[in-house]
Amino acid sequence: MSICDLKPGQCGYIQSISGNKKLVKRLMALGCIEGTPVKVKLYAPLGDPIIINFRGFDLAIRKKDAMNIQLREA
Amino acid sequence: MITAALLGNPNVGKTTLFNYLTGSNQYIGNWPGVTVEKKEGYIENRVKIVDLPGIYALDTFSNEEKISKEFLEKGNVDVIVNIVDASSLNRNLYLTLQLKQFNKPIVLVLNMMDVANAKGIKINYEKLATKLGVTVIPISASKGIGVEEVKKLLESGNFFSPVNENDYHYTDDEKENYRFIEEVLAEVIVKEKIESTTIGEKIDLIVLNKYLAYPLFLLILYIIFMFTFSWVGQPLSDALDEYIISGIVALLENLLQNSSPWFSSLIIDGIVGGVGSVLVFLPIVMALFLGISFLEDSGYMARAAFIMDKIMRKIGLSGKAFIPFIIGFGCTVPAIMSARTLESEKDRKLTALLVPLMSCNARLPVYALFATIFFPGNESAITFSLYLLGVAIAILIGLLFKNTIFKKDEEPFIIELPEYKVPELRNLMLNTWEKGKGFLKKAGTIIFAMSVIVWFLSNFNFNGMTDMESSFLAHLGGVIAPVFKPMGYGTWQSAVALLTGLMAKEVVVSTMGVVYGLDLHNILAQQFTPIAAYSFLVYVLLYTPCISVIAVMRKEFGNKMMAFSVFYQLLLAWIVSFIVFNVSSLILG
Repeated sequence: MSICDLKPGQCGYIQSISGNKKLVKRLMALGCIEGTPVKVKLYAPLGDPIIINFRGFDLAIRKKDAMNIQLREA
Repeated sequence: MITAALLGNPNVGKTTLFNYLTGSNQYIGNWPGVTVEKKEGYIENRVKIVDLPGIYALDTFSNEEKISKEFLEKGNVDVIVNIVDASSLNRNLYLTLQLKQFNKPIVLVLNMMDVANAKGIKINYEKLATKLGVTVIPISASKGIGVEEVKKLLESGNFFSPVNENDYHYTDDEKENYRFIEEVLAEVIVKEKIESTTIGEKIDLIVLNKYLAYPLFLLILYIIFMFTFSWVGQPLSDALDEYIISGIVALLENLLQNSSPWFSSLIIDGIVGGVGSVLVFLPIVMALFLGISFLEDSGYMARAAFIMDKIMRKIGLSGKAFIPFIIGFGCTVPAIMSARTLESEKDRKLTALLVPLMSCNARLPVYALFATIFFPGNESAITFSLYLLGVAIAILIGLLFKNTIFKKDEEPFIIELPEYKVPELRNLMLNTWEKGKGFLKKAGTIIFAMSVIVWFLSNFNFNGMTDMESSFLAHLGGVIAPVFKPMGYGTWQSAVALLTGLMAKEVVVSTMGVVYGLDLHNILAQQFTPIAAYSFLVYVLLYTPCISVIAVMRKEFGNKMMAFSVFYQLLLAWIVSFIVFNVSSLILG
């Protein structure tokens, strides 16, 4: 499942990131790496982008890009 | 001299520290990436501090990172000052690890200690220093605590000597790096409270609420407008106007009683009339910038980018591009320059082409003058409608360009939402004063020169001093006036005002001040119908902002883009003004 499958308030653990090379590199540099707990905080009023929280800070990301963040199956 | 490179993540107080250290003034905000240009400052001619852009890492393919890396490699850096957010060390130290590869002494400045303490974070500084092989100094830049120590250390030149190879822990594997950071922090951070819901989260629930977000956003913009036009800016402007007209003019008329008519005309009509009519808008400009700075410093600007993303994407831009647009309401020049922070070439170019359609504050004096005369009681509404029209036209043109000249893929979009904070009065004031100073300088140089030139052109012809109607200016205006005839303002005076307005938009007002004289209000009222006045304002809104914008456009994007930008705006302004005039005339009779 991807991070987009979480509802606001739900948490998960990151499994892997795929897709656009720049995006992957940037997210990884921010500490969005395997095993990191991540929480979906809220959706934008129009449903997109979404705010995710990991390592103590909020990051806005588009759903299209967030799809590439895979979560560990519970 | 010691050269220090100042580096850190966005939103960690880097600019605030820079200001404290060097006493220099610069633009401060919460938008990740406001610090685009390389800025330098000095501590007593002994330390040169170079303020590098806010970055999270050195190798994720952004311009800011390239600039920083290049400078660290080739800039003869003696010491790296790495400022980090003490309340979010985990992520901040990633950059620190990367910085160690340059084998320079590092001063690790732990900022926001007050926030960290409030969160219950206790840090063992000595241990952190030993573990990382750096000098650690805890500070609270916003409160000025600890800043002196940073200054003293830099001046003393006693940094850690570069550390040995074994000390360098950065690898190409992000997982490894974060594991190392976590190991270090486990030993260094003594106590960390489990966070409950913070105030910021509660604010976000309201500010980003499905139903409240946009009404709130509009309300905030509206409050800034009311603050500028009704509550503070305009009343101060009016007071200044009274003072200039009745005070200085009366005084000068007295003083110049016995001097020759051309001289007193040059001073009173030319210089005081021209510069004065622009100067009175200083309070309006400063009030507006106070509002914009407040939005930036509070952290709201990034939220605005977040809620605007889906909308901005429709015209082919990211929510991040919304920031240059907002800055564009202040001044087009920094707005175009701030487009540099956008990820893709397409975003940068499209933003630079559309930003001039946002009504910059130099256009305000023109709106204010005409609205006061033709739409008394509705000044705010008329001005607001022009701002909205600019936005609407930008959307249409954006759609057009997106589907014609800029057909490319979207870039990934991620931005950090910084924590909310109460803007510091000192920063707000510095910022607002900087903008006001820029405006004053413009009034003092370009507008002063223009006023004298326009005065000369409007009082002379080949036979010497003459009436306005037979002056150089009248002839020049007469040649281009027919172009504006279909919009109801085909007089040589308005043609000349628009022409000189290319120097700077507020010159439109000073030119009118000169060509019509000090009794501007009454004369204008006879020259325009309200519909023609509004169409005129529409033209002012949409045509090429000023030579400064043209110059910046050329500098950033080259001749082709510059020429295209000027041409399309002149054409666009004519078409829309034409439509507005004729449709309103049909409807309103």
